[in-house]
Amino acid sequence: MDDFISGLAEIFEVDDGDITPDFDLETHNWDSLAIVSVIALVDSCCGKLLNGRALAQCKTVSDIEALANQAEAA
Amino acid sequence: MTFQPLSSLKGAGSPGFALPGVRMRGVVSALPERRLENGDFTGRFGEDAVRDVTRMIGVQTRYWVPPGQTTSDLCLVAGERLLERMAWARDSVDALIFVSQTPDQRLPATACVLHNRLGLAPHCQAFDVGLGCSGYVYGLWLASTLITAGCGRVLLMAGETSSLLIDHDDRGTALLFGDAGTATALERDDEAPVTTFVLGTDGGGASNLIVPAGGFRAPAEDARRTGPFNPEHLYMDGGEVFAFTLRAVPKLVADTLAHAGCAVEDVDAFVLHQANRFMLNHIAKKIGARLEQAPINIDRFGNTSSATLPLLLTTDLAERLMAAPARIALVGFGVGYSWGAALMQTSPLGCAETIYL
Repeated sequence: MDDFISGLAEIFEVDDGDITPDFDLETHNWDSLAIVSVIALVDSCCGKLLNGRALAQCKTVSDIEALANQAEAA
Repeated sequence: MTFQPLSSLKGAGSPGFALPGVRMRGVVSALPERRLENGDFTGRFGEDAVRDVTRMIGVQTRYWVPPGQTTSDLCLVAGERLLERMAWARDSVDALIFVSQTPDQRLPATACVLHNRLGLAPHCQAFDVGLGCSGYVYGLWLASTLITAGCGRVLLMAGETSSLLIDHDDRGTALLFGDAGTATALERDDEAPVTTFVLGTDGGGASNLIVPAGGFRAPAEDARRTGPFNPEHLYMDGGEVFAFTLRAVPKLVADTLAHAGCAVEDVDAFVLHQANRFMLNHIAKKIGARLEQAPINIDRFGNTSSATLPLLLTTDLAERLMAAPARIALVGFGVGYSWGAALMQTSPLGCAETIYL
């Protein structure tokens, strides 16, 4: 889980402490580069493959976590 | 000569095919004269965006055709040099396969145009294959099946001028793609060991990497689906394509190795489609390949679609392949979605050259 948090912090170029469940994606450059990075991160950390289109709809970090929890194993 | 389907290998995933008696003799790539640095894009996208995008895709330079130059122009240069190096008589070529998504005209097949420009014989078959990222592996597969069926020598030409398809205001694709043309000489050789092929398709991904207009389906309908993009330009849903790659490619490689009965460490080089550097690093890690087993040249040439695999053979791998026998895994994946892998044992190539026009 720590890897996941620090991975997200790296992608959004913020401190680990800034990554909270309510962290707003839209205001942190939630573009295709960030989406691809999160897909790779979740694959590495959790061994799960996220759906790109569903991921693009996520608004907050907790949305990403919820998506990861219901994703298929890689 | 026998044709052995490997579908009997239960539990190994997708079926494969083993084709004996085919040798790769030489490969030549040709790059157009316009060389673009990342600095050439800062005026349009700004320094920050160019830095962010190129940090991920890993492209530093790419080569684009000047106005009027086409894929067949590039392939012709590569083909002429290849025939000269191979010392192949023009009338000894039995088939010409042209793999591209940027042919010279909608008709006739560009293979026929190249047949004339190369001065090949009337008995020579010539046809186009409209695939991109997976196209070179499909070309090798078709060349091998033609040779198994009785052809002696096959010229496989793969190239792309994607610079003419991209939306130059879309930073996701404008910085990524490069142009190149290639030619590969394949020949019947009864001593050659089997090449193992695994191929596949998921047409459900067709709309994620697409140029909607320019064919014969009403462009307006497709234009609505791709939103603000000009339907005559390349549309790419990077997230979806990346997710597909993670789903398909590690399995493709595992299935191919299983059919060939070899392990990751038995492979001298994984010649992976140069999609983007971030994706390549991630895929290589998932496959379990060491860094030096999966060469990357996307920094110098960008993503040249159907030309990325032969371009790797004539650059980073050229010396190695001309010096000694090698076991290489060629892996193409992308637009379609379409994928293919060929595990091949090469004898030292007679030529592996890159021409800069």
